[in-house]
Amino acid sequence: MMGRTIVIDPGRCIGCQACVSACRECDSHRGKSMIHLDYLDQGGSVASSPTVCMHCEDPVAPCAQVCPAEAILVTPDGVVHDADKSRCIGCGNCVNACPMGVPKIDLAAKLQFKCNLCYDRTSYGLAPMCATVCPTGSIFYGTLEELRTERPGVEVASTFDFDGSIISTGVAMVVPRGRPVDEPLPGGAGEHAHVTGSPQPAGHLEPSADNVLGEPL
Amino acid sequence: MRPVVVGIVTALVLCAVIYLGSRRLHDFDSALAPYAIASVFLAFGIAYRYTVWISSPGARRLFRKGWGAALSWQNLRRTPTALPRMIATYLGFQKFLGARSRSRWAAHQLIFWGCLLAAAITFPLTWGWFTFTANTGAGPQYTMNIWGFGVADFNALSVLGWLLFHGLDLAAVLVIAGATYFLIRRMRDREASTGQRFGYDLVPLLALIIISVTGLLLTFSSVALHGGGYEFLAVLHMAAVVLTLLYLPFGKFFHIAQRPAAVGMQLFKYTGHGEIRHCRNCGEPIDTTAYVDNLRATMRDLKLDFDAVAEVCPRCKRLRRGQAYRTTVKPGF
Repeated sequence: MMGRTIVIDPGRCIGCQACVSACRECDSHRGKSMIHLDYLDQGGSVASSPTVCMHCEDPVAPCAQVCPAEAILVTPDGVVHDADKSRCIGCGNCVNACPMGVPKIDLAAKLQFKCNLCYDRTSYGLAPMCATVCPTGSIFYGTLEELRTERPGVEVASTFDFDGSIISTGVAMVVPRGRPVDEPLPGGAGEHAHVTGSPQPAGHLEPSADNVLGEPL
Repeated sequence: MRPVVVGIVTALVLCAVIYLGSRRLHDFDSALAPYAIASVFLAFGIAYRYTVWISSPGARRLFRKGWGAALSWQNLRRTPTALPRMIATYLGFQKFLGARSRSRWAAHQLIFWGCLLAAAITFPLTWGWFTFTANTGAGPQYTMNIWGFGVADFNALSVLGWLLFHGLDLAAVLVIAGATYFLIRRMRDREASTGQRFGYDLVPLLALIIISVTGLLLTFSSVALHGGGYEFLAVLHMAAVVLTLLYLPFGKFFHIAQRPAAVGMQLFKYTGHGEIRHCRNCGEPIDTTAYVDNLRATMRDLKLDFDAVAEVCPRCKRLRRGQAYRTTVKPGF
């Protein structure tokens, strides 16, 4: 994981959407939220979980590796940036290759957009918008030492298991005390993942080619 | 090694067409030789950089699929207008930029058409392909020749004549307007300035403005200063153009060579098999079957062995990961 990074604790998330609103206010992508907030058990419980870009370190940024247009830059500080506007061709490779489900695509603009760790803020030492406004500390920004000062004895993990492929990430997640920290977190998706047939999001579109291809050019 | 060979072959082919097109250098204007030489280096650079680019798995597969779709006889019969329509709306009028921002679209169109006009005039002139000959010693009737063949007679004092001889000035005005807009945006707008790099984002704009301003100053010198300072300005303009051409393959300008890949990508998606792959989990459409298969093959090329995730929609990936965390890591939070 990166030295100064986001640490997510889904157990603290109350699903208030403050992070989503704050993300929309960010100067570098005004009006569009890059953070995802998912309700994990709609109708059953209030469990929710925020997802930012995990800034994959090893293998480094699968989204950037599969990009046919060399549009996704990874800076030496480990931040995986959103697509370069002059290069992105809107193919969607990154959207579908990302094991975490992070990048989005604007089909009309032929442009990908994703969390860039609020680079306009973090490069000046400020916390990302989402971490700034999160009322419960579900999204924390800082070093592991700073986190432990606030929450003594807390453990974090930053590896995920997808079908036996281990991905280590720059962003970490809180795990319960006593759990081996080097044990990867379950990725959940993949060839061997159990199919749940989870409910569709409200107002979902009927399956159609137009939803994924957009208008003809 | 391969990119170097491709680059050298491309540069040699350009040398050959310059030689033949200028009627064995008969029409070649030696005053413009630095521009012609720079264009040969440009051809090397573009071909070298392009070959390096398409050797990466993602680009290589898309390059093949895109050309396969573009050259497919079956696709041509089924949708004969698809390719020209995409080239016009995407590469020419750049409809997608309008969806990003109307003002950026307008500014980019100014730069695009300005540069296209300038390139269409400059390259054939410096290669000795275009020549203008006066029909009489005093003018004003001129003949425009391409490869030594007369193609059009015009009066230099007519509107057409003025446009022909001031095409580069018109191009400069278009480019200055567009590039100035982008330069101001890069200084004021934090959406543009976040993560911007001087060499990558600002140098191209400054180069376009310097080329255009020095070009206009050449006309100003000949019209208003009786040629005063012309030689100095000509060298300054030439240096700006040559350095920009040499920089072109290795900076932001390379998107000019990369952008047509979008047409190949879109053709591949549209004229593929027409089958849609749905999320294994919830059934939402993901992309065309051919495209998802192509992506999975790309991921395997890159040793990203979790390629099965390409068949799960982004939302289900997040939900499944969250549900697994809730089930096995922090039960029942």
